[in-house]
Amino acid sequence: MAPTACFNCKEARAVIIRPKNRHKLCRACFLVVFETEVHETIIGTNLFYPGERVAIGASGGKDSTVLAAVLKTLNERYGYGLDLCLLSIDEGIRGYRDDSLETVKRNAVQYDMPLEILGYGELYGWTMDQVVAQIGKKGNCTYCGVFRRQALDRGAAKLGIKHVVTGHNADDVAETVMMNLLRADLPRLSRGTSIVTESGASDIKRSKPLKYAYEKEIVLYAHHRQLDYFSTECIYSPEAFRGSARTLIKDLEKIRPSSILDIVKSGEDMAALVPQEVNQGGRKCGSTVAAEDDVGGCGSQNGRTSGGEMAAMEKELAENESAESRETEIRLPKGQSLNVSQQKVIKKQTLGHCERCGYLSSQRICKACNLLDGLNRNRPKTAIEVSVGMEDEESSSTLMRQMERTQLTNS
Amino acid sequence: MPAKELVRPCMDCKDAEAILDTRKRQLCGNCFKRFAGHKVLMRMSKYKMKKANRKTPKLLLPLSLGVSSTVLLHMINDDIERQLAKTFVNVGFELNILVVDPSTILAPDAKYDQAYEAVTKAFPKLTFTRLPFHSVFEYVPDMKEIIQEYAGSKITDDESRSNEDRLTAFRAVISTATSKADLDSVLLTRLVVGYAKGLGCETVIWGDSDTRLAAKTLAGVAKGRGASLTWSVSDGMSPWGVAFDFPLRDLSKPELEQFKSVCDDLSEIIVPDEPISDNVLTKNLSIDELMMRYVRTQGEKYRGVMANVSRTANKLESTTASDDALCPLCGGHVGNVKGNSGVTVANQSSDNYSSKFCYGCMRSRPEATC
Repeated sequence: MAPTACFNCKEARAVIIRPKNRHKLCRACFLVVFETEVHETIIGTNLFYPGERVAIGASGGKDSTVLAAVLKTLNERYGYGLDLCLLSIDEGIRGYRDDSLETVKRNAVQYDMPLEILGYGELYGWTMDQVVAQIGKKGNCTYCGVFRRQALDRGAAKLGIKHVVTGHNADDVAETVMMNLLRADLPRLSRGTSIVTESGASDIKRSKPLKYAYEKEIVLYAHHRQLDYFSTECIYSPEAFRGSARTLIKDLEKIRPSSILDIVKSGEDMAALVPQEVNQGGRKCGSTVAAEDDVGGCGSQNGRTSGGEMAAMEKELAENESAESRETEIRLPKGQSLNVSQQKVIKKQTLGHCERCGYLSSQRICKACNLLDGLNRNRPKTAIEVSVGMEDEESSSTLMRQMERTQLTNS
Repeated sequence: MPAKELVRPCMDCKDAEAILDTRKRQLCGNCFKRFAGHKVLMRMSKYKMKKANRKTPKLLLPLSLGVSSTVLLHMINDDIERQLAKTFVNVGFELNILVVDPSTILAPDAKYDQAYEAVTKAFPKLTFTRLPFHSVFEYVPDMKEIIQEYAGSKITDDESRSNEDRLTAFRAVISTATSKADLDSVLLTRLVVGYAKGLGCETVIWGDSDTRLAAKTLAGVAKGRGASLTWSVSDGMSPWGVAFDFPLRDLSKPELEQFKSVCDDLSEIIVPDEPISDNVLTKNLSIDELMMRYVRTQGEKYRGVMANVSRTANKLESTTASDDALCPLCGGHVGNVKGNSGVTVANQSSDNYSSKFCYGCMRSRPEATC
């Protein structure tokens, strides 16, 4: 078969079929087209301002590596004037993070960007491995997501940076749209697709410049630029609600490749159609919801939650329904109804600071501290021994020696 | 007298043998019919509110002769019969039924003629009309021009051609299963609305089950038609000034099939759906078929979650202002809905040679690459 010429330059030999629209492109054109599309997204949404300091949430995975590479390229090509740096979170998952952090460290050298690594261990006193040892493999992603949310914000604050970009791609956004429909989550439907999420819980802005980029094209881009990235899924990632949406989207992509982008477009339109009261209501509490229970952010695996979520919701819905038939409607006499409506004041959530850690929260104690409470309550008492002072340590070693001696005599 | 010995008494009347399981309850045929019928009548009751100086609303029920719309017709007819038997008759509305001949949409088949004959016989008090699919050109007068512009150079219109040939030619140039199904449903909606307007009907009563609504929602989203959900699957005003109503939204397709199974008189009318073969490659399905399959299989395990989908879509609010540009073909928003600052449309500018049609219709256009 004769080689096909590139759809774009009509000269070079096409080596890539774009997953997005099945155009056949040569390597050079594909890289340029991909970069230009990200550039158009950035310009079209006024994402950055000249001189802005931007932290790239880097996991070492394909999405964030491509994001860093593309941003560096575009920053130089179009003179954005951005001051870029890498920000990594070390969840403390052995075998997953150790290697991927090495990748990030190499990336920092390759792209000549400063790198900051923040560990869960130092931030919360718990690494994810310890969390899993404590609570098991179910539901641990909740901890990871909540901790990470704050960790990225805290890391950015530490660096004095107000804008964090993450590697969420079009597939992630499309999944979120479908998932929120399945979960009947209107507030999140109204904000999940927007490119910038100003969480309100902190003055740090988050954005996803790769929101219109296909996952497959990100992989292709990384491959053809021979980027150094780490490809392993989080070893703790379980089956999820998102999994159902993900399978569906993979099937859709087979039928009509544009459908991922079409879902993003639908999602954006629907977001604008979510009724105002839900929207605002969502924002009031949502400002912190965005910060606190967007259970997600595991690189490309963002938003994975415990596997039973879908079944649990189904159970709850079924229970609600069966309870409905047992309900009796009680109506107040007409005169009193006025009274009731006066009493009914919509509870507004006000933003304050968490009493423990000072992080912005609508509750007295923020979600991360709540989760930590639960963990610490069950922490084995032996952990206390770690904090024994120097003197005690000496005496305890004496004790140890004594015990050894006893053991010896016994044997 | 000792009570009747029942092996499995109906949980409602306790007087008959339960023959089916529904929503974790065991019911006899009659109680199930009452249970399901009640859900629909609650939704229809808004037409019974007597208002001063208001003439009886005219409703149009498009009947596909499939399970859902036929069961809906049966339920509404039951209520009309009950009302007519009363001293104070309060039917509340005038019902018209439109059958767009399935022979002209799918392949010609005598079974549709038999079904049509059976349905007119079964409901003698109601008014039926049967139209061929290509009468869309009659009821939507500018459809010829719209289609010509939409298909571009792919079809050349010949004035001497009959409407039937014209429609066949248009449908023939649509390449993929998804686009075919998408445009068929667009044209079908236009025909139904056109007919309803001609008749002076204020509302179209669609016979979509909850299962179908969920599938339509997900398919609409997947085809870039998210902005149209406010009327395509929600109760409310359509872009053409005729309201859309979906009274079957509390019942799933399997429940409607159960209903059919306890109504002997429906078996002659209903033309069963063509079963989707499991051997078809996913890639050859249309998006609508994929979604219907997804909702049905997932619905077996997660009925409530699937019901969430249409319920969520029904909560979206239309923001259409009179100056918004609407797609001449499907009535959807052209460009972005107000308040949407996304750049999906801008990103795709090379594909959108004309901004006259909406995003969803551009995706199904014959020249589109996918």
